[in-house]
Amino acid sequence: MDNMHHTMLRSKRPTISMKLLLYMSWQNIISKKLRSWLTIMGIVVGIGSISFLVSFGLGLQQIVTDNVVGDNSIRSIEITTPNSKIIKLDNKSIEKIREFPHIDKLGVAFSFPASINLSGGGIDSIIYGVDDDFQEMTTLNLVEGRLLKNTDTDTVIVSTAALKAIGISDTKKAINQSVEITAPLQYADSKLEDLNQKFKIVGIIDSGQDNEMFTSSSVFEAKKVPTYKQAKVIADDTKNINALRTQIEASGFQTSSPIDTLEQINQLFKFFNFVLAGFGAIGIFVALLGMFNTLTISLLERTKEIGLMVTLGGRRRDMRRLFMIEASILSIIGALMGITLSFIGGQIVNEVANQNASSRVSERFDIFSTPFWLVAILIIFMLVVGLLVAFFPAKRAEKINPIDALRRE
Amino acid sequence: MKNSNQTNTVKPSDKSKIEHRKTLIKVQSIEQSFKVGEETIDVLHESSFSIQEKTFNIIYGPSGSGKSTLLNVLSALQPPTKGRVEVAGFDIYKYKPEQLAYFRGSQIGVVYQSNYWVSSLNVIENVALPLYFLGHKKTEAHRKAMDALQRIDMAPFSKKNPLLLSGGEQQRIAMARAIVTDPMLIIADEPTGSLDTKNGDMIMALLQSYNRDLKRTVVLVTHNMEYLPLADKLIRINDGQCIEMNNEDVGDTTKELIKDMTTRIDKLAESKKNG
Repeated sequence: MDNMHHTMLRSKRPTISMKLLLYMSWQNIISKKLRSWLTIMGIVVGIGSISFLVSFGLGLQQIVTDNVVGDNSIRSIEITTPNSKIIKLDNKSIEKIREFPHIDKLGVAFSFPASINLSGGGIDSIIYGVDDDFQEMTTLNLVEGRLLKNTDTDTVIVSTAALKAIGISDTKKAINQSVEITAPLQYADSKLEDLNQKFKIVGIIDSGQDNEMFTSSSVFEAKKVPTYKQAKVIADDTKNINALRTQIEASGFQTSSPIDTLEQINQLFKFFNFVLAGFGAIGIFVALLGMFNTLTISLLERTKEIGLMVTLGGRRRDMRRLFMIEASILSIIGALMGITLSFIGGQIVNEVANQNASSRVSERFDIFSTPFWLVAILIIFMLVVGLLVAFFPAKRAEKINPIDALRRE
Repeated sequence: MKNSNQTNTVKPSDKSKIEHRKTLIKVQSIEQSFKVGEETIDVLHESSFSIQEKTFNIIYGPSGSGKSTLLNVLSALQPPTKGRVEVAGFDIYKYKPEQLAYFRGSQIGVVYQSNYWVSSLNVIENVALPLYFLGHKKTEAHRKAMDALQRIDMAPFSKKNPLLLSGGEQQRIAMARAIVTDPMLIIADEPTGSLDTKNGDMIMALLQSYNRDLKRTVVLVTHNMEYLPLADKLIRINDGQCIEMNNEDVGDTTKELIKDMTTRIDKLAESKKNG
């Protein structure tokens, strides 16, 4: 008895383990199989539809981003001048920019309208004079031959569209073919004469419908062209891009970066994904009503059981916990199943879409994308709302008076 | 309590020495009233009595006399409106609800007239339930529960659902649950009320063996006058008033009660004949 008195007064009395409470909740769930399954199914449909729709939004966002940003490094910044007469993008300013911190790489490019001529009548095109770094940053999709070297003075890379225009359709035959290129260098400096030179085709690129040519920047440097058309910079880290741009713009130049577009895309998709999640939320709402109903019925059915457990030494907070645990189990099972089903559904759509598009698209793409953070957020979200729904039945369970519950009829 | 030498010299049949045993429960001028709307209903009037340890006590009284309320007060579920209940010298209602829950779980075993179970758990889990709440591990709790079931020859039923068993079987399992924590006090509220004579007698025999062999204190509420002679002490409750009587008075009381009853029945029969 003294011992008992002691134990009762202790602040840490031995009490039922979480493991046993879990076991008891689990037993209750499986003893009412049909009802538990119906509740879980509601959650499966709700969480599954949110997961499916948001995965769709995220997949689309990824596809759009990939297409817009493409192979451009997300860290790149393009530099142009707003007025080539006043602010000159010349060697001096390039050397100044090169001194700025956080620059990983810097490349420059000339560009002029040009005409390309194989035999007789020339056709209009555009010619870029690029240095090695610029060429590297501009991912050229080479289909034949090789890229340029900075030491080259009479070589050119031609796009398939330009090649077709001058009447060559067989790319293999075009390599080492000599073409005559004319470009009016007066656009850069009125004192300069036209560029008029024979070039050897060393590489062929596929740039879709664009009719364009690339040659080494040394060609224009030899002609003493004073200003570049544009420069491209790669920052050492995405977080330094803004600082670098501010610095470059302070020198009077204009900058643009794939990040601008990316931010717009992300903004748009944020809204789009919210709308999609909103549709799914209707399902969750219905599922939560179902769970509330299940827990309330369970509470009413178990009034006597709870009264009994309190009589046998159960604490009121244990009674509350039984309901909270039950809601958690239902929520987690429902969420896991919903996410799994939506993932399988998404993978099937991805597979079918890729099969159908394989003849037209070279790279694999995912219409549905379910990243891990989405899975984690959905499970946590369901757990939180599940516990909120369980709160009222659990509070009522806690307040059950064993005397009333076990009163003889 | 197990080490108490005082009682070893007293045979259970030696009723005159009961008063010399240690007092386990001391009920001091308790009153209980409930508010129903504007009205206050007095269920228990000022009552005092004591229960000695390792004795067999019967609370007797007509329905509506306050038996259940008294039992709730004794089983640490309902604090009285006035007065105090001391168990082994401790005023139990001074403790916090959570401490009382621990007290109920560890020191009191209860058996009711109708059986209550956690329907999703099987027999052995239901029997082990009080041990779960005392923080025992499942395996340990089940071992003790199995011992308790074996004592009443119900071990083969351990994996069954209690709700699918007969009333008599259920009541025996409830008896196992009542002793599983090795409590000092067993409270039985009309445990034979919904059983036939044979099963009822079996439960009474079990209660008696808990008292005699396990040396537990038993408090029994019953309607059945046949059982009154089993008591060391009889607490008669009428209109919320408790009167305690020792065993030597029990015989007389029973006779009196039976006389009262036969007179009532005779009167009833006579009035019918005349009517």
